[in-house]
Amino acid sequence: MTLASTATTGAPSGQRPQLVIDKVFKQFGVGPGAVTAVDHVSFDVKPGEFVSVIGPSGCGKSTLFNIIGGLLDEYEGDVLIERERIAGPHKAVGMVFQEESTFPWRNVIDNVAFPLELQGVNKSERLDRAHHFIDLVGLKGFERLMPSALSGGMRQRVSIARTLVSQPQILLMDEPFAALDEQTRLLLGDKITQIQQDLNQTTLLITHNLTEAVQLSDRIVVMTYRPGKVKRIVDIDLPRPRSSDVVSSDAFGHYVAEIWADLREEASRGMADSESARRGGSRG
Amino acid sequence: MAATGQVKDFTATMGWARGGRSSLRSTNLIRIGLLLGMGIGWEALSRSGLLFRDVVPSLFSIWAAIWKLVMNPAFYANLQVTAWEIFASLAIGGGLGVAVGIILGANRFLGAAYEPYVYYLAPTPRIIFFPVMIMWFGVGVASKIALGALSCFFTVALSTAGGMREIDKVLIRVGRSFRATPWQMAMKIYLPAMRVPVLNGIRLGFGTATVTALLAETKLSNQGLGFMIMQIYSRFDMPSLYGLLIIVFILAGVGNLILGKATGTSA
Repeated sequence: MTLASTATTGAPSGQRPQLVIDKVFKQFGVGPGAVTAVDHVSFDVKPGEFVSVIGPSGCGKSTLFNIIGGLLDEYEGDVLIERERIAGPHKAVGMVFQEESTFPWRNVIDNVAFPLELQGVNKSERLDRAHHFIDLVGLKGFERLMPSALSGGMRQRVSIARTLVSQPQILLMDEPFAALDEQTRLLLGDKITQIQQDLNQTTLLITHNLTEAVQLSDRIVVMTYRPGKVKRIVDIDLPRPRSSDVVSSDAFGHYVAEIWADLREEASRGMADSESARRGGSRG
Repeated sequence: MAATGQVKDFTATMGWARGGRSSLRSTNLIRIGLLLGMGIGWEALSRSGLLFRDVVPSLFSIWAAIWKLVMNPAFYANLQVTAWEIFASLAIGGGLGVAVGIILGANRFLGAAYEPYVYYLAPTPRIIFFPVMIMWFGVGVASKIALGALSCFFTVALSTAGGMREIDKVLIRVGRSFRATPWQMAMKIYLPAMRVPVLNGIRLGFGTATVTALLAETKLSNQGLGFMIMQIYSRFDMPSLYGLLIIVFILAGVGNLILGKATGTSA
């Protein structure tokens, strides 16, 4: 399957790493109080592919994000990059976090150049490359501003540029647009689609937003509510290049409806669970 | 610049900032008005003969006394002693404070175990340890430095520990995701993230060190500005006493302003 797809996308991409998540299992706590966050999740991401993992809150998405990013070491199963099990943050993976994560003491360009600084790239090349990616996320002219002078959407684009500048082979994002309003989210989605197509960037997006997932993805992994298992993997066969206009198409509506049917069941289970927890008073 | 910055922040916190520049001008007017009013009231009181002579000396005699003080080499010798005491207190107490603060902030277990001590001891008046310090270090400069160091230690340690704990955890995850080395984590994430609380702590520590040094000097000493104040008091030279108080007031203000500027926390 993998070999077939690399063959079709051309020879050089044969060297690109592929991400394999194989029966990943993660439990928090021990004994009867233990919570299984991720339960034998398996899927893979092919080179150049955009895959989304979608599921209701509490399905272990963020746990999975941390495991794949190498920030959470103790888990069962394997996360393989280039057929090797990762140990700690892998150099091929670039992470974009859900939270506000720009460095408030660095201006835009120094934020973006941060990974290059760690790698010891010299200053002029650092700035050149940072400029390129600032341009790519549409923040040209804002290089010298501090994050506090930017909007939430702009700051999130700074974070994305900062991750892209390290030229990760796999871009791993955890609800990067969660804190943004719907319009900004659609427009940033366009930006992401365009970048992904320009760079042929292998991307794994963790999200709970259905339209966002369908708008951006080649494939969607639908997760169940606690414990987080793979419920279904849906191929999104919408034409590329794609833009946010796609949301008005019939096919788009069809995919959203189809995935929602799966997701609704899980989301309502999650909702019932959190409501009963509140009623029991066991959680504030 | 710094002064207008302070005014702005002050008005902003008081909720007066609506008028922008014009309200800035009016706050300045109010301030000058207050000083003028106090000066006039003071002078009127001094000339009214209502109070015992010299308790409220005329502003002109205070001004003359300030001039005389500023021209007196003994003043500079004492100033130097006090400045050295404050500097050394801050260096010793502040340095230890930062170190202990980092340990308490970084280690949840140690923090939980020892921080209550720091909290409960922090507001106790350190001057009560002065007799002990005199026994240990003598009546000279050393006992003032010891007491000053003791007093600013707590302030700096608490704000450093707080700053350490308030570091946004996601920034640490960002550093790890880019595979920063421990040294890079310390220099490029922890240190800059803690800069403001630590510098604020040092600034507050400067205040407590100044208060403690002067207070200790007025109690028992043989040099320093506090000693000079008590000497003048014993002669009942009221104009010089007020003059010296004004000078100390201004010096402390300027010192704080410089420290604020240097640390970029002038707000």
